Amino acid sequence: MTNHYIDFRNADVILNMGGNVAENHPVSFKWIQVARDRGAIFIHVDPRFTRTSAKADIFVRLRSGTDIAFLGGMIKYILDNNMYDEFYVKNYTNASFIVNPKFSFDDGLFSGYDPRKRAYDKSTWTFERDEQGIPKRDMTLEDPNCVFQLLKKHYSRYTLQKVSEITGTPTSDLEKVYQAYGSTFPANKAGTVLYAMGWTQHTVGVQNIRAMAIIQDLLGNMGIAGGGVNALRGESNVQGATDAGLLFHIWPGYLPTPRASLATLEDYNKTTPVSKDPRSINWWKNRPKYVVSFLKSMFGEKATKENDFGYSWMPKLDVGQDASWLNLFDEMYKGTFTGFFVWGMNPACSSAHAGKVRQALVKLDWMVNVNVFNSETAEFWRGPGVDPKKVKTEVFQLPCAAFLEKEGSISNSGRWMQWRYKAANPPGEARPDGDIMYELFKKVKALYEKEKGVFPEPILNLKWDYETNGHFDIHKVAKEINGYDLTTGKLMANFVGLKDDGTTSCGNWLYSASYTEAGNMAARRKKTDPTGLGLYPEWSWCWPLNRRIIYNRASVDLEGNPRDPKRPLLKWDAAEKKWVGDVPDNAVPPMGTNGAYPFIMKPDGVASLFGPGLADGPFPEHYEPLECPIEKNLMSSQRINPVIKVFEGGPDTFATCDPKYPFVCTTYRVTEHWQTGVLTRWLPWLIEAEPQVFCEISLELGRLRGIKNGDRVIVETPRGKLEAVAIVTSRLKPFNVAGQTIHQIGLPWHFGWLHPKDGGESANLLTPTIGDPNTMIPESKAFMANVRKLAVAPAKKPAGKS
Amino acid sequence: MKITRRNFLKISGATAAGAVVGGLGFDFSPIESYAQELRIKGAKETTTICCFCSVGCGIIVHTDAKGKVINAEGDPDHPISEGALCAKGAASYQIANNPARLQKVRYRAPYSTQWKEVSWEWALDRIAANIKKSRDASFMEKNAQGQVVNRTNGIASVGSAALDNEECWLYSKMLRAMGLIYIEHQARI
Amino acid sequence: MADKSFFIDTTKCTACRGCQVACKQWNKNPGTKTVQRGSHQNPADLSSSTFKLVRFSEVDVPGGEPRWYFFPDQCRHCVTPPCKEVAEGKAKGAILHDESTGAVIFNSKVKVAPEVFKEVREACPYDVPRISGAGVMAKCTMCMDRVKEGMLPACVKTCPTGAMAFGDRKAILELAHKRLSEVKGKMKDASLANPDDVRVIYLLVDDPKKYHKFAVAENTIGITRKMALKRIFKPFKEIRVIG
Repeated sequence: MTNHYIDFRNADVILNMGGNVAENHPVSFKWIQVARDRGAIFIHVDPRFTRTSAKADIFVRLRSGTDIAFLGGMIKYILDNNMYDEFYVKNYTNASFIVNPKFSFDDGLFSGYDPRKRAYDKSTWTFERDEQGIPKRDMTLEDPNCVFQLLKKHYSRYTLQKVSEITGTPTSDLEKVYQAYGSTFPANKAGTVLYAMGWTQHTVGVQNIRAMAIIQDLLGNMGIAGGGVNALRGESNVQGATDAGLLFHIWPGYLPTPRASLATLEDYNKTTPVSKDPRSINWWKNRPKYVVSFLKSMFGEKATKENDFGYSWMPKLDVGQDASWLNLFDEMYKGTFTGFFVWGMNPACSSAHAGKVRQALVKLDWMVNVNVFNSETAEFWRGPGVDPKKVKTEVFQLPCAAFLEKEGSISNSGRWMQWRYKAANPPGEARPDGDIMYELFKKVKALYEKEKGVFPEPILNLKWDYETNGHFDIHKVAKEINGYDLTTGKLMANFVGLKDDGTTSCGNWLYSASYTEAGNMAARRKKTDPTGLGLYPEWSWCWPLNRRIIYNRASVDLEGNPRDPKRPLLKWDAAEKKWVGDVPDNAVPPMGTNGAYPFIMKPDGVASLFGPGLADGPFPEHYEPLECPIEKNLMSSQRINPVIKVFEGGPDTFATCDPKYPFVCTTYRVTEHWQTGVLTRWLPWLIEAEPQVFCEISLELGRLRGIKNGDRVIVETPRGKLEAVAIVTSRLKPFNVAGQTIHQIGLPWHFGWLHPKDGGESANLLTPTIGDPNTMIPESKAFMANVRKLAVAPAKKPAGKS
Repeated sequence: MKITRRNFLKISGATAAGAVVGGLGFDFSPIESYAQELRIKGAKETTTICCFCSVGCGIIVHTDAKGKVINAEGDPDHPISEGALCAKGAASYQIANNPARLQKVRYRAPYSTQWKEVSWEWALDRIAANIKKSRDASFMEKNAQGQVVNRTNGIASVGSAALDNEECWLYSKMLRAMGLIYIEHQARI
Repeated sequence: MADKSFFIDTTKCTACRGCQVACKQWNKNPGTKTVQRGSHQNPADLSSSTFKLVRFSEVDVPGGEPRWYFFPDQCRHCVTPPCKEVAEGKAKGAILHDESTGAVIFNSKVKVAPEVFKEVREACPYDVPRISGAGVMAKCTMCMDRVKEGMLPACVKTCPTGAMAFGDRKAILELAHKRLSEVKGKMKDASLANPDDVRVIYLLVDDPKKYHKFAVAENTIGITRKMALKRIFKPFKEIRVIG
């Protein structure tokens, strides 16, 4: 999130799209309600009418997988009706930048497409630059090659009629949303967007969010109180786990994992983002300091200038190698791995195409699974259809402490790092995860010390000294993450002081300032709110630098005065020469006084209406999901995203426009369960409330297929099938898509065969192995399925629908 | 006259008048004896943050003298949640008090049909040995292009957003020191 | 301690069911075995293990979007509880009415015969009383142990959206009427469910029957305030018959 949960209350219009906030982030609805009590409009756009829709001022349906069409129509509407924040667009975005005249877009393809590689050569997706290397601009926004005009041209195709044909949303509903959300363009109006996996889990996931970011930039809603682009993340610490680099492509703090072509630290540092524009802060220029400080936190005194601070000890990816989730399980399926750690996860139910994952696990020699409760992953060797006598895998199941049985911090979606204390001992022999890791690696290290082995340096040289009085001490790790000034031994005050000469260490630069000589900032519980905007700067701590709203200098005018006097997030005190309010992003003077552009993490310092960094184009374009109900993309000849990686063969099968699988299907969650139910299915109060897997279908589809409410049904795709109880409901409705009636169905993915025995299976048995080309997040939110009545009597007579 | 749902208001209205003449009334002492002592009185309070979604609601956990969790409810001082919890957060008590919790290290041998309980020491020793075997067997110093990659191709890891920040970082550190590149977690799915 | 009441504003309820679970947690009530019956409402009904139940009610609107009403059902702690009237003669001490809070309490120490329970349940306009296998009646306790210590009932405390409030009756009635007048502007069918007769006052914006069969006392429909007042002055002996 650029903003934070309490900040919802500051919005005039709240759009929840690609998410289901009331059900999946229930307590945050408090702040939506506070905004509504003040008169704010709450809009929900979703394929289904959910508990969120029930509370919406405006609810509008769209077919799963058509969000870019919907949002592209909004971009057009905003531009056509002059509903953009002109000051903001000119000063704080790249609208005025002149694009390379060789850049083009034609019939669904941007310039540079290579169909054999299914990839773009992006060399034309660039800006024209002057002799100093600074992008050329036309502040009148009239140059036909400026970003603003290209944007206008691109989205001119997204007419109400066309969008409606694609999304199945009536044009009057589209207009209702566009008008309501577009109304936040004046400087004294704030609009915020809340999204979740309903946007990310698509083959156009990143571009869904890009489309909304463009809207927020046009409306001047970024960097302001009550604005922002806000991902409501699915897990309590998925933000923190991402920040910590538990992904193949990043080290802690979003430092890119080095590629094989970058043999030395010097080579790596040559890829540091550069800006020639003196008004662009380009914060990433500091990356070398963070890299060296990180390596110092890895290898301590063993990391020296002479040995490149141990850079060569760190594993490198091949150029172009993608080791992300779907590829990981594809490799496992092919037998690439002998060993596998599944730490606090349940991929046998949580992964797209869970059936493939279950087959892949059989190929392992050993697997370590750490969890609070038993899981389908831990028991894969005796899962449905598996003969344990044929499974070679050694499985270790390690019991760990639950959240309230250990101490440490987690980071919520608003980037608040909050400290948790230990309330009770874990049961039996269960141990905190940190203790398990600590002891395990000590053993690995001892083994290499004793027996040597292949390339032992990174293991033997790893700094692994987090004990106090002979026990693992989580505070020592927290301090390591914050970082030290190695010349004084003192904790770093923040990342501004980090150096690239080996005199500082820092485990994750973004978390520097979280645990300083002044104490553990995440544990703070002081409830002052000087701005009155609900920032609570002394409650816990948030990255970066306790800045509660990112890019907050975009909330002020060129002189540093708040553009929205009702919500003064930041103000320049000219006499004192300092900013008052939130922690400024960052502390340079206002733009009108030789200051710098507000978007400091972007090389050009401004927000990207034209975003050349992505794999699938600088402007979001509508493509159909890999599996879709219509033969032709109504926007272009490219039916699907032209750069997605298609997995073929073996268990990876697909069916598009196939009468055997005629219904658009989506997966989702309900309030009472969490993810695969790996915790919640074991809690009697929750399994009582949502006991079994269900499939929601419309009244119309119920009639069509002879399915009554409460009937048992089979839901199937080419990948797998499962039984579910039908909920036949007016909350789902068929769509009119290009003149055809398209039915939408959906089911939750909280269940699994292990427990409860009559709970049903994982909805991920249905989902395909296909990902977004930028993130490789699977397309679990739009695929094709069939639903039919199970030919046996239901276990119990269904009650009246309620 | 029999009281049924249908004539509730009649009764309700009439007894409102009746109460004035003392025909019906409240119970005094019986309630006092019924009302139990507040069971969290004097209990130890520990603050924590909910483990489920990413809102980050505050929870107060009450433990008794033996250290057993006896109650868990919203932390009213928490600025985001202000004492509120949804169904999941409100069920935290059942995470701490649950007979289904894993309490022993278990091992499933190749081709075995069942789990066997083992000691931590044995399990960690064996896992360490497996790591070394897999790593040493699959370690790649140079790739096909002859570039230095120093990585372990034969071990992968997934997890975890269910860990604390410090544990995530420690895990990331440990995995990368072991040479892993296939490192993923919930953010990808 | 003053007379207490709840205000439940269903327009703000998102059916997160925090209240349903928090109630079970505080009252140490178990989760019961349920099945999916084609509804998100589960368990299906109140029971001796479920004192608070969020009812889900879907109303199809032909040609338009449906309405989905959420109704966190519980004992209304009637101002003059008919259940107590019934129990008085037949199971002495089974139902108590707390003077200080107005809470109606089913005494867990008194067993009740099935036929008496049947009458008690039949007497409740809201169909709340339930009985355990052991013959003990059960329902919402108003979290008396918490309330006596100045704490909020568990359900109210956990409610994220401000759908539930609890406090002195006078203040709660004021809050309820204030909120009703706010909502009335937008939704003309808005009403308070029997505010003068119960201590758990619901704000509804549609026909109460669309929320739950027993959302309001049956015979209130069509009864004006004036008529209700008239009833108060009916001959007292008419109700003495029950004793």
